[in-house]
Amino acid sequence: MAFSFPRHRPDFWTWITISIVAVLCILLILPILRVLTLGFIDPDTGSLTLDNFIEVFTRNYYLNGLKNTLFVGALGTLGACLIGIPLAFFTTRFLITGKTLISTLAILVLVSPPFISAYAWIMMMGSNGVITNFFGGIGINIPTIYGAHGIILVFSLKFFPFIFLMTQTALTAVNKSFEDAAENLGCSPWQRFVKVTLPLVFPAVSTGAIICFVLSIADFGTPAILGRGFRTLSTIALSAYRSELGGPPTMAVTVSILMMTISMIALVAQRRILANRRYASSLTNLPVAVKLSGWKNAAVHFFSHGIVFLAMLPSAVVVYTSFLKTKGPVFVGGFGLESYDRIWRDAPDAIYNSFLFAIIAVTFITITSGLISYVIVRRDTKAAAAIDFLMMVPYLVPGVVMAIGFVTVFRNGMPNFFGPAFLLVMIYYIRRLPYGVRSTTSSLRQIKPSLEEAAVNLGATPLGAFVKITVPLIFPGIVVGALMGFITAINELSSTLILYDAGTITMPVKVYLAVLDGEFGLAAALSTILLLSTGACVYAVFRFAENRNSAFI
Amino acid sequence: MASVEISGLRKLYGDVVALSDISISIPSGTFYTLLGPSGCGKTTLLRTIAGFHQQSAGQIAVDGSSIEHLPAHQRDVAMVFQDYAVFPHLSVRDNVAFGLKQRRIPAKEITRQVEEVLEVVELGKFVDRMPHELSGGQQQRVGLARAIVVRPKVLLMDEPLSNLDARLRVDLRAELRRIQRDLGITTIYVTHDQEEALAMSDVVCVMEGGIIQQAATPLDVYLRPSNRFVASFVGANNFLQVGNFKGECVLKCCGSSVSQHLPAGPVVCALRPEDISVKVDKDPSSLLNTEISIPVQIKEVSFIGREMEIFATTDNGEAIKAVGRSDSKVIALPVDSRAWFCVERQNLSFFKDSELGERV
Repeated sequence: MAFSFPRHRPDFWTWITISIVAVLCILLILPILRVLTLGFIDPDTGSLTLDNFIEVFTRNYYLNGLKNTLFVGALGTLGACLIGIPLAFFTTRFLITGKTLISTLAILVLVSPPFISAYAWIMMMGSNGVITNFFGGIGINIPTIYGAHGIILVFSLKFFPFIFLMTQTALTAVNKSFEDAAENLGCSPWQRFVKVTLPLVFPAVSTGAIICFVLSIADFGTPAILGRGFRTLSTIALSAYRSELGGPPTMAVTVSILMMTISMIALVAQRRILANRRYASSLTNLPVAVKLSGWKNAAVHFFSHGIVFLAMLPSAVVVYTSFLKTKGPVFVGGFGLESYDRIWRDAPDAIYNSFLFAIIAVTFITITSGLISYVIVRRDTKAAAAIDFLMMVPYLVPGVVMAIGFVTVFRNGMPNFFGPAFLLVMIYYIRRLPYGVRSTTSSLRQIKPSLEEAAVNLGATPLGAFVKITVPLIFPGIVVGALMGFITAINELSSTLILYDAGTITMPVKVYLAVLDGEFGLAAALSTILLLSTGACVYAVFRFAENRNSAFI
Repeated sequence: MASVEISGLRKLYGDVVALSDISISIPSGTFYTLLGPSGCGKTTLLRTIAGFHQQSAGQIAVDGSSIEHLPAHQRDVAMVFQDYAVFPHLSVRDNVAFGLKQRRIPAKEITRQVEEVLEVVELGKFVDRMPHELSGGQQQRVGLARAIVVRPKVLLMDEPLSNLDARLRVDLRAELRRIQRDLGITTIYVTHDQEEALAMSDVVCVMEGGIIQQAATPLDVYLRPSNRFVASFVGANNFLQVGNFKGECVLKCCGSSVSQHLPAGPVVCALRPEDISVKVDKDPSSLLNTEISIPVQIKEVSFIGREMEIFATTDNGEAIKAVGRSDSKVIALPVDSRAWFCVERQNLSFFKDSELGERV
């Protein structure tokens, strides 16, 4: 066939696609590529080498970090499954009083920052914790929360909502006829659950599990606060970065590559397993919730409410602590507003910065996510497919890794050009962009393309059709995406720790530093502000989202 | 009102040919229908005219000026969509006014024109309703009003009735045709429903495989299909093998001579089910020479109200179907009983024996 040059008419969306690709190249691909290449370069000679990886795989310091990361990641995920799957099953198949409350609390647990619950557990079960002291007072020495088991506990209670909400959605969509058929063929209820129901919702369970696992590996705050010598790859990466300041962050980058690789392998493995399991289900025969009675009913209620109570406990403790009377870092008994008084004196800049950075980043996310979604959903080009794929990458790259990439790209050689504030806004933007895009994308998929075509056909320009027709129709999706972006941006800790300086401290960083200093009152008051703004956003999402639960997962 | 001239239009998706050298000429004011099975390229052609697809080669001219290089929003060809595409967040008034506002027509004038066109489509009372308060048929009237109110040069309709229920479809069909005639607007209409195509069109253009098979008046397409595909797609048809016996062309199943002069190569004889009369107790000698008679075995007779359908096989196993006024004698025939299908010779037509075999 003769070579023919395709006559492509570049329109408005072609330019938008090019701009998006350019932004993603600079903010996403470039930092990750820099991280990848630095890991293979000798810091002293600048030549290509595998020595950095050999060091990571031979020195116990790093090997233990790897083992620890996989250990708490796997067990945290397992714990989340053991909590989330039964909870999902109970709330969909049995009549549970307060079912909406359980879902709402699970969502609050999901969006509240993990480092807050880590340090709340210290206040309860640390060396000087309320529970530790109570049992110590009656002569029982219970183990403290520090170490692997504490991290696993926090991960399980923190990440189970992913499994719970996803499995719940899947369970309500399982055609009851499958279960009826199993029963008709002689399965006991337990056999039916194991042999039919669980395999049917396996795609959802495994997707939830993979999110738990990836987040556990990336989590910095929990092992940093609860670790006490138990180091994971994310804490190792940060301290390596700190010790390499001034030179190229070679070891930090090498550890980062390891973290990314684990996330990738986990994701690819899950996709492989899922590839042959596609259960399209027609919703002709919806499952019904049955009413239990007697001890079974009591046990199911106790478990369901107990779990969300336990998971919410850290937040409650934090809010409670913030109103305790303090003198300096010491709690002196009784209630008072000293902690709040102190944040107005000590940390007004942290509050201001947090809101400022998050709002600017979310503004950019709001403006661009609609355009990006449009390109992904409506444009059938290779570039659109690539953008769609790239939108998954920020989920997989731990904050520490992304921040190190940012430093190596934007700070080397041009120290004053990009200030920390600019970099923080940009990293919040790129890391939280997928939340906005995902939400608007799912809204847009419900809009028939013929609506935009009709507008264009009647004389509207492509941009005009987008503004007059598409945006009003996907508006709820845009708002939900912006709110989710805001929640996750304002609670961001790990990448901020690497990029901030004295003038750009944020609330999560201040909380983290206060916890390390034992300033629990100050930390509690700041955390309460974070929890309040998070709660307000969750409320707003409930108002705007068509499906409350799916907006969050 | 404008004529449409399409020449050498081609559309490729990679190596797949969606449209292959389409050339058609549509006089001003014509109701021109693109008819074909799904995947034949009719919607692709319509959307290429609208500017939603870019052609790989060829020209599209409206009233002599070419439009194929214009972006969709500058083409002045209004479209009515299969799924109505009525903007769900705008009222009926704002939906209909959308195109007028794009053309920066003064507000007062817009109000007048919107109310006028809504009277034409009989939606005058619904001007301030929201789309979700309207039925499917009413929504499609909004879609039509929105398209014609901008007085486009050409009106494009992409299976506008296919989402409506059967009775409404027939009512709206007549109304569409009336409005089109009154406005005298050149219309290109896409459908897969042959009845719709035959009932509404000035010209029916049958497409298959991205190629135009025949473009002619409804009567011509039905009575003189240009090839075997058109003969089988438009209306039902039976195809019987034709063989050569002692220099004469005969039906292989019964040996009846059908013609003296047919070209070499395999040929089939087409006979429409409604042209067949069924004889139960036949005396072949009583047949006129203008008729042929085919002995068959009855397989099934189904009575469907207005008429009956008789499914049978010929002596060499070819399936053949007849349709006729219900006749209790025929309906009572047991399976495998003998009967004769009689057709007048002038109702036979012949095609080369391939999917797109041409008429001979």
